[in-house]
Amino acid sequence: MKLPILGILIISVTIFSGCSSDKREPVADSAYEIQSISAPDWLTYETGGIDFLPDGRLAACFQRGEVMLYDPKTKEWTLFAHGLHDPLGIMAVSKSEFLVIQRPELTRVKDTDGDGKADVFETVTDDFGQAGNYHEFNFGPVKDKSGNLYIAISLPSEGGKIMPETRGRIDTNGVSPVQFSVVPYQGWILKITPDGKQIPYAMGFRTQNGIGFDLDEHLLVTDNQGDWVGTSKLYHVQEGNFYGHPASLVWKKDWNRGSPYKIPISELDSMRTRAAVLFPHGIMSKSPTQPVPDNTQGKFGPFSGQIFVGEMNSERIIRVMLETVDGELQGACIPFIDGRGLRKGNNRLAFAPDGSLWVGQTSHGWPGDDGIQRIVFTGKQPMDVYSMNLTSDGFDLVFTQPVDSVAALNPDNYKFQRYYYEYRQKYGSPRIDVQSIDVENIAISPDRKKISLVLSSLKPGYIYQLNMENLRSGSGDSLANSLICYTLNKLRR
Amino acid sequence: MVVIRRRSLLFLAMLVLILPAGAHQKQDTLTTITINAIGGLKYDKVRFQVKPGAKLKIIFVNKDDMPHNLVITAPGARAEVVNAALNLGDNGPEMNYVPGISKVLWSMATLNPAETTSLTFTAPEKEGVYPYVCTYPGHGLVMFGAMYVTNKPMPAIESDPNIPPGQKGSDVMQHNDGHPVSHGAKPSPPYTQDPPYLYRTFVPDASPTAIAVNLPGNISYCWDAATCHLRFAWEGAFLDNTEIWKGHFQAYSKVMGAVFFRNKTRFPLYVDKPGNVPTVQFKGYRLVERYPEFHYTINGIDVYELIRENREGAGLTRTFSIPKTNRTIWFAFTDDDGVDYHSSIGGLANGKLELRPGKDIQFTITMTKKK
Repeated sequence: MKLPILGILIISVTIFSGCSSDKREPVADSAYEIQSISAPDWLTYETGGIDFLPDGRLAACFQRGEVMLYDPKTKEWTLFAHGLHDPLGIMAVSKSEFLVIQRPELTRVKDTDGDGKADVFETVTDDFGQAGNYHEFNFGPVKDKSGNLYIAISLPSEGGKIMPETRGRIDTNGVSPVQFSVVPYQGWILKITPDGKQIPYAMGFRTQNGIGFDLDEHLLVTDNQGDWVGTSKLYHVQEGNFYGHPASLVWKKDWNRGSPYKIPISELDSMRTRAAVLFPHGIMSKSPTQPVPDNTQGKFGPFSGQIFVGEMNSERIIRVMLETVDGELQGACIPFIDGRGLRKGNNRLAFAPDGSLWVGQTSHGWPGDDGIQRIVFTGKQPMDVYSMNLTSDGFDLVFTQPVDSVAALNPDNYKFQRYYYEYRQKYGSPRIDVQSIDVENIAISPDRKKISLVLSSLKPGYIYQLNMENLRSGSGDSLANSLICYTLNKLRR
Repeated sequence: MVVIRRRSLLFLAMLVLILPAGAHQKQDTLTTITINAIGGLKYDKVRFQVKPGAKLKIIFVNKDDMPHNLVITAPGARAEVVNAALNLGDNGPEMNYVPGISKVLWSMATLNPAETTSLTFTAPEKEGVYPYVCTYPGHGLVMFGAMYVTNKPMPAIESDPNIPPGQKGSDVMQHNDGHPVSHGAKPSPPYTQDPPYLYRTFVPDASPTAIAVNLPGNISYCWDAATCHLRFAWEGAFLDNTEIWKGHFQAYSKVMGAVFFRNKTRFPLYVDKPGNVPTVQFKGYRLVERYPEFHYTINGIDVYELIRENREGAGLTRTFSIPKTNRTIWFAFTDDDGVDYHSSIGGLANGKLELRPGKDIQFTITMTKKK
């Protein structure tokens, strides 16, 4: 087994050194390899959801309605079901049973006669409205350890329409100039208990195309930049909380305040729960997707327990590291893979039993690519930031390898900026109050893996963006990703 | 194929009609052009023509759900401007994604959804093809068009290299012709070759939760999972999903055949007495020889409904199964819904069939297109 890996390494290094005249940063390592998975000619390869069976087969759903199984051993696809309406999420229950979210329902798709094809499509829940707007996407499901399922219902777009006939009670108080909520429970996360009871769980979302649990069973949900979302985000979602987009408030139990847009913005701001991590727009992400935790116990490299998030608009996967500060989750985001053969449209992520990370891609009218790719850890340690943690006076950066001390101790190699995004109805937000922050002191740990930076100022409510320069490992590998952004909601007490 | 050829002829004829009008523009009058940003990273107008030195007003409307701008560049400089915009990096948002280089001739602000702006300027004296492009990151490769500053006619749109390949059908995006567009050599999914099969999709005259089923013999029907009943049926081809599958804008699947049945009852099953419309709940469906058998409840009573094509005559054969209940159920229909009815257990009278309680019920209703 060692030999083939070595072979790949040598080839990769050769290829990358051959590209050194390219304008791009030379690739510092070949810790990860990217492979593309081919599919039948007839398949429109718009990947809506992926998950793995314990036997190593991939289950995938595609936006034109197919559910298919792929065996990585034989490289063969089989068609399991078709005809679903824009399915955007799948969960494998067993080799003959899958949960699929589609526009009209969360559906249990089963093969009951053992012929390898689905013959039963059971409604798990359809207790939410349908306005017939093209932008009315549903996401999920994910399951907690008690067996509860969670799904996400996004907001329709003013760019589209409401059909003459809808499913669900219409409430025009949720209508707004941009994204709106006219039928239940648009802009919500819903919980479905094992006995089938549906509980409206949390509200205030816009286009929350990413839902997942971390290994500590925090429910994480990403949302897309737009009206009321100054930049894209990752929320830690808890029952009953409001996350900022007002449209969904009309479906809050006993809501009696009419149009939520008439509530003063300062009041909405005080009602909302802040995101654990902000993805600066155009800098880190334009359209984040599914968060998945690295549960591979090292098979995928050094980032066990951290979160990987897809990115639709660029050739990027993002890595998120969370910590609890003053009782709440916050943390940092950093590119994980940038380019290197990764396509755009990175919509869905899943770890295979062998520890590789599979990425399902879709464009579906947006900029991007279609298909499925697989990211494999080659065994070579990357030179990367392992973690970024808030201290009482700055940040600790821990690296995956010992750093070169000379570069690490030079304060010119750390460029900190801080800024925030405005909470407002208008689409997106510029960066506000952008300031450079000086590094006042640098300390390095005896094992040269941890760098402690003291900053001239720490202010809650700001993103701290760090661009690192010239940092390298003791053995000369340059840093794989030099940009990292920490969302400072709370100071350490 | 015949249809498509006729459309291109028609289009050429239109072009002949339009062009002389453009050529007669006077330089001292203001020409107004409206360009909409629409879903799928497109401008609805991918090219237009002005005379050199003409006064021009462009009204730019964002009808999409994401931000777009419009930048007019020097001839041949579209890619250069797009790349320069990308290289703005962190500064892009503050600079409206417009790079400060001389190849940018005019620019219009980045518009959020539903916003409008306009720009008035004098077209260059120098003849040429002046590209316009959205430099919002990620859009520039596909979202562009061409301003022809010339006294001569524009080239045939089908072979115009200055517009996006996907928009060579016409100067202005249209999406109402209903004819399937050939997308190269991509084969159809195998399951569509062998009815029955279904698509859950948006179709007109149903709720957003329609289930469209194609049966053998060129018969199709729409069953609605929100209302739990058969909405309409048609004869001929099944659906054209071209528009809905483009994604990112409002569309329906187009019903391709002739509708011969449209339900006119408030609901085809009553509980306890005629006219009692039940509360329904959709439970799903199972495939029986690939035909969906719908499962739903009416006032909590389970109903299973399997619909096949008729053996003889265009129409549908609906088999209802209702496990034993102590309630009386009525099947209802109207005379003016386009079909003749026949019941496997007789008893059809005055638009109703009474089903007595106390035992498992199974009956078949044959609906045959009226002659």
